[in-house]
Amino acid sequence: MKAETPRQFIWVLLTLLSHYRRHPGQALAMIVGLVTGVALWAAVQLINDHARASYAEADQLLGAEASAWIRAHDDSGVAPADYIELRRAGFSTVYPVIDVRLRSSSGSFITLVATDLLALPLLAGGGSTMANPFAAASWLPMIQPPYQAWYPSALARQLDIAPGQQLQLANGQALPPALIQTQAQQGQRIFMDVGAAMAVLQRRQFSYLAVGHLPPAEQQRLAASLPPHLQLVPNHQAIDLAQLTASLHTNLTAMGLLSFAVGLFIVFNAVRFSLLARQGSLTTLREMGVSTGLLGLAIVAESLLWALLGTGLGLLSGFLLSQQLLPAVATSMQSLFGASLGATVSLQPVQVLVAFSLTLAGVGLALAMPLWQRARTSIRHSRSAPAQWQQEHAGVKRMAAVALVLLLVAGLIYPQIDSVVAGFVVLGLVMFGGALLLPLLVQLSIAAVATLLPQRHWLLRWSVSDAVAQLPHLRIALMALLLTLTANIGVTTLVGSFRAALGDWLQTRLSANVYVQSNTLDLAALGQAQWLAYAAERFGSSQRWQDRPTTVRGLDVAAPDAQALLLAQGNPADLALWRQGDGEPQAILANEQVHFLGNQLLGSLVELQTATGLQTFKLVGFVHDYGNANFQFYLPNETLLKLWPQARREGVALWLQGDTQEQATAALLQAGAKPGEWLLQDEIKRVSFAIFDRTFAITAALNTLTLLVAGLALLAALLAVHQQRLPEYSHWRAMGVGFRQWFLIVALPLLLMIVVTLVLAVPLGLILSWLLIHDLNVIAFGWTMPLRWTWVPVWQLSGLTLVIVFATLAVAVLRVRQTLPDALKQLAGNEG
Amino acid sequence: MTTTMLTLSHVSKTYHQPDGDITVLADVNLHLPAGKTAALLGESGSGKRTLLHLVAGLVKPDSGTIDIAGQRVTDFSESQWNTLRCQTLSLVFQQYHLVPTLSVLDNILLQARLAGRVDASLQQRLVDALGLGALLKRLPFQLSGGQQQRVAIARALMHQPRLILADEPTGNLDEATGQDVMRLFVELVQMTGSSLLMVTHSREMASYMDCRWQLHHGVISNVAALDTVDTGDTGSVTNHEG
Repeated sequence: MKAETPRQFIWVLLTLLSHYRRHPGQALAMIVGLVTGVALWAAVQLINDHARASYAEADQLLGAEASAWIRAHDDSGVAPADYIELRRAGFSTVYPVIDVRLRSSSGSFITLVATDLLALPLLAGGGSTMANPFAAASWLPMIQPPYQAWYPSALARQLDIAPGQQLQLANGQALPPALIQTQAQQGQRIFMDVGAAMAVLQRRQFSYLAVGHLPPAEQQRLAASLPPHLQLVPNHQAIDLAQLTASLHTNLTAMGLLSFAVGLFIVFNAVRFSLLARQGSLTTLREMGVSTGLLGLAIVAESLLWALLGTGLGLLSGFLLSQQLLPAVATSMQSLFGASLGATVSLQPVQVLVAFSLTLAGVGLALAMPLWQRARTSIRHSRSAPAQWQQEHAGVKRMAAVALVLLLVAGLIYPQIDSVVAGFVVLGLVMFGGALLLPLLVQLSIAAVATLLPQRHWLLRWSVSDAVAQLPHLRIALMALLLTLTANIGVTTLVGSFRAALGDWLQTRLSANVYVQSNTLDLAALGQAQWLAYAAERFGSSQRWQDRPTTVRGLDVAAPDAQALLLAQGNPADLALWRQGDGEPQAILANEQVHFLGNQLLGSLVELQTATGLQTFKLVGFVHDYGNANFQFYLPNETLLKLWPQARREGVALWLQGDTQEQATAALLQAGAKPGEWLLQDEIKRVSFAIFDRTFAITAALNTLTLLVAGLALLAALLAVHQQRLPEYSHWRAMGVGFRQWFLIVALPLLLMIVVTLVLAVPLGLILSWLLIHDLNVIAFGWTMPLRWTWVPVWQLSGLTLVIVFATLAVAVLRVRQTLPDALKQLAGNEG
Repeated sequence: MTTTMLTLSHVSKTYHQPDGDITVLADVNLHLPAGKTAALLGESGSGKRTLLHLVAGLVKPDSGTIDIAGQRVTDFSESQWNTLRCQTLSLVFQQYHLVPTLSVLDNILLQARLAGRVDASLQQRLVDALGLGALLKRLPFQLSGGQQQRVAIARALMHQPRLILADEPTGNLDEATGQDVMRLFVELVQMTGSSLLMVTHSREMASYMDCRWQLHHGVISNVAALDTVDTGDTGSVTNHEG
């Protein structure tokens, strides 16, 4: 570097930065683009990282590790006597856990976890993120009446519980006074002492016993010491959760990256406008002897400043946004996967570094093309409009060529999609291919409209030709808009199709009127009551198959829902065979997840661990099982109980005769069921849809935010265009063009471009939803559903886009009216 | 004894167009002594702007040599041109080309700062002479055309260049303002001891210069016939056409 270069560098940089003092709007656009892009990406990333960190600690409870569980074979619970026996035998790392799902009097489902605080084998050192929570705090109030129930603050807000207040349960019981206190691994769960929970909930058994770290020899001794009705089950929760939720997190990451990409488009747009507005200054500096290299260095320094500012503010906003989104995500994770997410996210240095690197790379990318063009243009030509126009024209052709390559690559990869990541690569190629093709399509549309217009409509012809002048300035904003519209249409179709499929499925799956889950219900006592059309018991047995949690479920084949069972795959003859409990080997049904994620086909033989050893079954059908993250097999109750005599009773489904709900509930109480131990069909549907809507709440939030970002990009671009063309508008005005004519000339091409963008967004959105529903969803979650197309989102998005366009035009009209007198004065060369 | 600031020897330039070649300059020779001012007159398309661009290094000649301040610049690299423009040359344009986002004062100082040659007393003298004292904090768009050109002139002179190249500096101004600006420009050029080569189509503006050359279809001639010029002391032109 020459001696004078550092001094020149500083003055060049200051000269470049002086642009933003004059054009704070462009600075704002840069910041908005960077901050929204980084914030949306960072929020998703923070939630993902936080969730993964929570899964890693899923085998811990309040800092205590559970490498295994001791459970009853029929999952009916573990008696305190068995626990005491094991402690006496010297197994000091065994501790009791109550893990129950309760329903509040307001109908909310909550999870309560309770353990013996004094028995917790707390991890030494860095195994857990927390120290012993009870060393400093007084734990006596927890174990002495009236006891305490610890609520994480987000859950307390959700349940509207204040400190000291008691949560009323649906069965009439009340939890102890609330203490708003969040502990590690607590997630969205209420925490209590195990003794207190047993007293309050009137339980006589623990859910299970957890086993802390034990050497292999001790584990063997423990397994041998267990009474026959108990079993030692390895705890795979951390691995299972990481595996089960991987696809969901990939989906979220993809949405975050899309938001980041749209944010970058805004930055690209802002950079383009700022470089365009500074082109004269850049040329002047070059005429003064500033080298292209030094100019490039100054622009890189400027982008570094932007990246720093964008990353800082973006991460801060992303952090705040993730705090807002976390409760909804945590509740969904709890409902869908039983995963407990910690209550607060934390920002790690590595996340800051990744965000800064991504932003810098993005800003660098946004700057690379214009800088390259600028560097290639000679000083003499850099003030020449025709040269720039030729560059723009060549740029559109180059983009279209790249688009075709991207679409070709997508077409070649599509048949080989076998993972969620590969699916998203194809999806990204299609979306960006479409976006890069847009400017050429707009150009061709303009040319087509121009040829159709008759010569005598000079104003319309002028208007269409003006589109050519507007396109270079608007094309990036239009591309960002196209990406957002496509994503919106695609994701809305996905969510709508899923919701409709779920509704149809629940209609057949939940045909019973009442579902009872009670350990004290005497089913025989219901007898042949007049109000009862049919009662069906359900049983289940859990095991691991293909190293994933799996349930074998028993169904009453004569029950109305089993009679109406619809197969996603399979034939009626095989279904009849299954109903009879026949087949050689034994016929079995499975959920679609076994087909798509377990790679099994109709007729495949599967081996399951029964009470008497491994047994082979023949898959004769696959059924829809929306929302289930695990594998599930189905057998008639009789067959199940023969093979798994200790299968747990999973409840009773009751079909009522006419409107006899009140009679039924009274009879249930008489037969030993307690209030709150049954659910009506409508309640289950309501809860299912509530979980569904909450799960997609983050998708909807990201969708809306991304659309807002794209709207802002368009707004910023249009304002910049009108600002830049103000002298031109003054010329027109001076020639006698009235405001109405001006509006026509400027607004019509804009509408033409927006219409082309919207028209292209529809097929692209359809392709996107097709890929999401038929490929990505199947690979990620293992279930299929029909694509249900609706024009509603298209009309809504079209309306919103037009509102944005007309709003910017209105601002432009006002600005032109305000500034025209000055512009006309300058035009007239007033020396005043 | 006078030293030469600018010498063009047998310089030719032809533009190759699809509909045929256009010879803009044909075997041009001229020399401008240090500290002198010269006007290059010519009608539109005569090649006068191309000649200015050749001297500024924005265009390369097809043949011939160019020497500026004793340096043969014809084969200069882009980096050498950058150094020359930064240290030796200043350009003044008809469109002013001020940095729109810098104040008048920052615009005046810009090139001097880049060259590391800020002279406070010269700054004061230029500001006073050009009547810019009350405008220093304004932005260019807040000035009239004449005021903007005065700022451009101040910027060029503040840099203390050895050679100023001016392209129709008063072309955008009305006659009275143009005369006023030109008078000041020439006075200040003489005050700072720079040389000036100005392109213009106005004989009136050219009359402020020490010498005047005429370009017609790429061929240069002395216009001593039009005005009395002592080319021996100031400058000279010759054409060697077949």
